[in-house]
Amino acid sequence: MADLQDGLQDGVIDSTARRAEAESDQVVAADTGQVEAHIEHPSAGTRTKKPFGAMFWIAATFLVLLALAAIFAELLPYDFDERFQNPETGRSITDEGPSLKHPLGTDGSGRDIFIRVIYGAQISLVIASVGATLALVFGGLIGLTAGYYRGRVDSIITTFTDATLVIPPLILALSLILFLDNEAERRILILIVVFVLLSLAPITRVVRASTLVWAEREFVLASKTMGARNGRIMFRDVLPNVAPALISYSLIIMAQLIVVEGAIAFVGLSVPPPTPTWGDMINKGRSDLGSVPHITMMPAMAMFLTVLALNFIGDKMQERFEPRESVL
Amino acid sequence: MGALPSIRQRPGPYAFIALVAVVVWAWFARPSFFVTFGLVFLVGTVAAFLTNGRYALQRILGIIPILLVVSFIVFTLMATLPGDPAINILGPAATPDAVERVNAELGLDEPFFNRYGNWLGDAVMGDLGESIQLREDISAGVSRTITVSLQLMTYALILAVLIAFPLGVYTAYRNGQRQDRTINTVMLGFFAVPPFVLALVLVLFLAIGGLDVFGVTIGGKWLPGARYVPFGESVVDHFKHMLLPSFALALGISAVFMRLLRSDMIATLRLPFIDLARSKGVSPTRILWRHALRPSMFTLLTVMGFTVGALIGGSVITEIIFSLPGIGSYMFGAIISRDFIAVQGGTMVIATLYILILVMVDFLYLALDPRLRTGGGTGLGG
Repeated sequence: MADLQDGLQDGVIDSTARRAEAESDQVVAADTGQVEAHIEHPSAGTRTKKPFGAMFWIAATFLVLLALAAIFAELLPYDFDERFQNPETGRSITDEGPSLKHPLGTDGSGRDIFIRVIYGAQISLVIASVGATLALVFGGLIGLTAGYYRGRVDSIITTFTDATLVIPPLILALSLILFLDNEAERRILILIVVFVLLSLAPITRVVRASTLVWAEREFVLASKTMGARNGRIMFRDVLPNVAPALISYSLIIMAQLIVVEGAIAFVGLSVPPPTPTWGDMINKGRSDLGSVPHITMMPAMAMFLTVLALNFIGDKMQERFEPRESVL
Repeated sequence: MGALPSIRQRPGPYAFIALVAVVVWAWFARPSFFVTFGLVFLVGTVAAFLTNGRYALQRILGIIPILLVVSFIVFTLMATLPGDPAINILGPAATPDAVERVNAELGLDEPFFNRYGNWLGDAVMGDLGESIQLREDISAGVSRTITVSLQLMTYALILAVLIAFPLGVYTAYRNGQRQDRTINTVMLGFFAVPPFVLALVLVLFLAIGGLDVFGVTIGGKWLPGARYVPFGESVVDHFKHMLLPSFALALGISAVFMRLLRSDMIATLRLPFIDLARSKGVSPTRILWRHALRPSMFTLLTVMGFTVGALIGGSVITEIIFSLPGIGSYMFGAIISRDFIAVQGGTMVIATLYILILVMVDFLYLALDPRLRTGGGTGLGG
């Protein structure tokens, strides 16, 4: 029994059991004259591996560097609210454009924008990645259940996801943040909870749709025939096939969460000052957009590049795993 | 077949004429937003019923459970959130007496399900209650502001389609070639620009004089800044003020549209009927726009429905940046002042519109895809 199960996992099964279903994949083994059906095991099924291309690696490098910088931000020589002064005149260096000492310039209070952007990345990346990961786990479980068991469970879950999808996410997020809590210290936690709630429905939908397709496949039926338990089929047969598309989708979700966090910070409801956030920096520079645009544009650029990199990587991965559905 | 197909056979053209009539009437009579939308929805529903009654009935009945669940979620969220609405209204120094009086006034002393039932019943009749902060009827406030948002959404959608269609068709035609890859990469870039960042960039370069780069000014003061001019006041000014916000919303959407259209179009172009057209000597332009476009539009149409719905409540930040008095600004004001009744009502209206728009898109399929029309017409007329 165990051997058979392993054989299944390897993707080869004796044709006598499942000849009809596997018609398209039949291969005549010439030497024995026996007909063998090779059921393609899809997790190993990326036949032609297109190279990711230079842009992919640039994007990946950028994200890794940004993440490292955010993690080790405390090692930077200055703090994020350090106000720089000209040592000769003693006046603070405000609104200065990019220079060697301050690569992204300084803001209206003479603080270094580069350092603030790095600290801002901490908030954006932590909230987005933790939010997306938790949503991935919960949404994945719910979607897998709905798509695998179908029937009443499915229709209840689908009704709920459909219903939450039509509630405008930003309005929901803002009202939850304001109504839930006024205490700034717990804002990160609240934000993460809100973000998990927001991304739960889209992820559930994607996982459910994908599970519906995979649960119909021959190797799932084969597992069932051999008496595998539902849990085993879900996690050993279906999940590995749903996972690649899911992971690339969660990168795109992460990108969207960064934008939503930016929007929330823009209206001043994310992590409160003095902690720098990209959205808040963008908003604070807005009044002087005409005279000193770099105060707004530098954090905006950081957000844009991060979102772009995440989208690009997600897109490329999706292209590789699911050539036909490589659309956003 | 006669010169004109009967209305039972092909209600599409008649529905179109009726829609134009509704729009023209709404233009002059200026009814409340809900009346116009209701009429449009009515025309679409009647046309759908004539085309395929079973399908239309299914879709219409399907709205009810979703709406019930949405209303329950929205109500529960707002009702169970911590924080006393009465204290939010009266301030922290309120006396217990005053709190009790306000609670009674808002009906908050009743049991949960009674409150839900009352609220839902009133909402169905179009009464969303009174805004605590603005001392104004919520239905009136929502109706006034949502008009602005819908204008914004419509212009954004038109711009997005104008950008996405030519590019999508062209890249599908040039599938895999250099032009295709370039346009694709650029559009992915546009997709990644957060709308509020794009809004600020547009303001910087087009409205407030641009950027000095080594003494050369890039950009100018070509467009006016943030303000809303009603359509009735000055048509030219109205569009001048709406151009930047709608473009800020449109660019990212157009990237999604273009990529969808492109991939579906590539699939269509591989079908045998395209080979047939080509071998008959039909020009590539005609093949692309006349033969391949329509069957490639269905996924895009669905996504358009979702996008339009998402835009109604999704333009909060854009509306704030451009000082547009739309539903986004209204809701933001309500949230900031903890006006939970207004948030409840506004969210419910947005969600309902979203669902109705999705149903309308399903009905639009009937007009575009002959395979969905069963019974009645044969499709020979089209």
